[in-house]
Amino acid sequence: MVAALIEKYYLKMLKMKNIVSIGLFATLLLISCLGQEDDDFTALFDGRNLDEWIPGPEGGFEIINGELYTGGEEGNDLFTKKWYCNYVLRLEYMLSDVGNSGVLIRCNPEAAWETGVEVQLLAPWTPWRDDLHCTGSLYGHVAVANRPDETTGIWHKMEIKCDRHTIRVSVDDSMTTLAKIDTVITMADKLICGAIGLQVNHAEKEGQYAKFRNIYIRDLDVEPAYICEGFYETDSVFRAQAYSAALNLGAEMVEPLALMMSGENPLAKSGSKQVLFDMVARATDPQGEEKYKDDVADALNNSADGVSSQIVKEYLEWLSGMIKNSTDE
Amino acid sequence: MKRRRFLKNTAIGFVGLPLLSSTYRYIAPSDKIRVAHIGMGNMGRAHLNWFSDFNDVETVALCDVDEVRLREKLKLLQEKHPLTKTDTYTDFRHVLDRKDIDVITCATPDHWHALIAIMAFQSGKDVYGEKPLSYSVQEGQVMKRIWEENEAVFQLGTQIHATENYHRVAEIIQSGSLGKIHTVRLWKTGGSPGLGFPASEIPPDSLDWNMWLGPAPYEEYTPVRCHGTFRYFFDYSGGVFGDFWCHIADIVYMSLNPQGLYSIDTRGERPWDGIADTPRWIEADFKFRDLDLYWTTTPPPVPGAEKMHIGAHFEGTDGSLTCDYNTRTIRIGNEMLDDVAEIPQTLPRSPGHQRNFLDAVKSRKQPESNLTYAREMALPMYLALISFRLKRKLKWNSLTEQFEGDPAANYLLSRAYRAPWSLP
Repeated sequence: MVAALIEKYYLKMLKMKNIVSIGLFATLLLISCLGQEDDDFTALFDGRNLDEWIPGPEGGFEIINGELYTGGEEGNDLFTKKWYCNYVLRLEYMLSDVGNSGVLIRCNPEAAWETGVEVQLLAPWTPWRDDLHCTGSLYGHVAVANRPDETTGIWHKMEIKCDRHTIRVSVDDSMTTLAKIDTVITMADKLICGAIGLQVNHAEKEGQYAKFRNIYIRDLDVEPAYICEGFYETDSVFRAQAYSAALNLGAEMVEPLALMMSGENPLAKSGSKQVLFDMVARATDPQGEEKYKDDVADALNNSADGVSSQIVKEYLEWLSGMIKNSTDE
Repeated sequence: MKRRRFLKNTAIGFVGLPLLSSTYRYIAPSDKIRVAHIGMGNMGRAHLNWFSDFNDVETVALCDVDEVRLREKLKLLQEKHPLTKTDTYTDFRHVLDRKDIDVITCATPDHWHALIAIMAFQSGKDVYGEKPLSYSVQEGQVMKRIWEENEAVFQLGTQIHATENYHRVAEIIQSGSLGKIHTVRLWKTGGSPGLGFPASEIPPDSLDWNMWLGPAPYEEYTPVRCHGTFRYFFDYSGGVFGDFWCHIADIVYMSLNPQGLYSIDTRGERPWDGIADTPRWIEADFKFRDLDLYWTTTPPPVPGAEKMHIGAHFEGTDGSLTCDYNTRTIRIGNEMLDDVAEIPQTLPRSPGHQRNFLDAVKSRKQPESNLTYAREMALPMYLALISFRLKRKLKWNSLTEQFEGDPAANYLLSRAYRAPWSLP
């Protein structure tokens, strides 16, 4: 409900051409607030199963009393089946006195450390535990600004937000690390989308373990307002990411795209025009999904009436004709 | 000299050329051909230079929707031919209204090519039209119909067609000395620039922007959409690929006239750094009945290609030939040649592409890049751009000129005109 209201508000702001940026700013603030709403989070691990994950051939993780436990001598890191680009990840972790694990983000499991980064989880026992390698750091890339509570044997909350160029890590509701990845030279070649991984505990000490519970994710790339914001990115890599998210979302994006196309910002205008075309191209693919096509067709019909720009209206009608043509035959 | 114009019956046909059956205009060999040029950009200037130098051409009118360009080009013409009596127009319809004009040349942006040619045919004029032929496939079909109905003469402005090199390449290929040609690789380096993200502007007073857009969808004015870079927008054109296809595919059609196109599979990317949307790079695979034809933005891995910005590479069962506009390299076994003396000259040479057209205007025989030839040669390019835009492989029926099992692709074979413009 709240999300719907926010979206309406956002779209209204978009209509008021000269205050688009204010609208976006407000939206960003609201997105942050919305982050508190558990409704937008889905479980990656809720204590029952590993359906969202791909266990490695040597295991390494097991569910014990609804908690995900890693502490054996061998095993593989555990990766999500799905890849995510922009998201808020929440989890709880507990380390033993000699625990050493981590959360891998935006990585390709084939070469997780080369392609992604690790948000470190480390009990304070090793000589390497400086700010660049302690819990909450982007291990070896970005140091913590505020050192978190490293008490072992108790549950801590962690939140990792991947928001285009920005990665923010919080532990126990305090921000530890803020990374602007485009300013971190060592991260220049890192992926901006990828799997999420949990590192197998690898302290090689007696009594080592790491435990996880309540792993939840909010995928920002399925939220129209967040996707729209990406259309204003000057960095084409993140614009491309937003285009792709919009295309995947399909019908729900038609109206926001039409409104952006009616606006004044040349980046957003040309991007939304293109994505609308690509959406219809996908929708009309003879091998494509019928539902995607029907939904996009409906959304185009409904949006054409709502836009004020004659140029956009005619464009939507032209696209509508393309889908209609392929439905009739 | 008084100008003579009369109708005359004819029964003369020429093998390999379309028959002009009943009636046509007649311009005596000694008469001047009265020419008007529509579209006064760079190609318009080339037209002006080429045609005004012929003794039997009188440059009667220049036309452009941009008054600045119109004045510039008139000045150039007057410097070269001080005695010229040339009128200027901003609306091509006034040019077509004049009964004393025999020929128009058209060097407007692509989205105007077809309609101007069609309206010229209807007003009894012959047309030298710039490449590409048209904006859409459907326009090409209508052009052909109206051209036939009016028995007009049309030459597509693929001036490379007239070169000695292209004629000789065609002879070598047709001689069979390379065996059966099974594959041709075409390439043109470079792609669409992004053109940045400029904001819309109010068009200058000297430019009739609405007329510039004509049948294309209405859009706010931005300088990069207009002169010089319009071809990087799908609203008006087909990018570098659409621009150069006709020049280099020409040698394939001259040599092999491939038939039975049935599959088009295109890959590529748009620019990321601007509002332009035509391919930054493109690769298209065409399957004809007896030929595989490939287009790439990077030169194919064949010797020498990397140094050529545009080219064609013919692969036969007994040898290969690589050429561009002016050069050719033949490879048979380990031998590398630039000609095979034993192959006789079988093709009549062109007196030059513009001269060939003017001769056709007088003789009423169709010129070398006439509409039947040019339309067939240009067609695969449009289909590849549709495959590029839809991001999927397409099946084509060359008899019905429709895609098979893909109505959306068929939808893109045409584009509705913006009022008040319409196709007959």
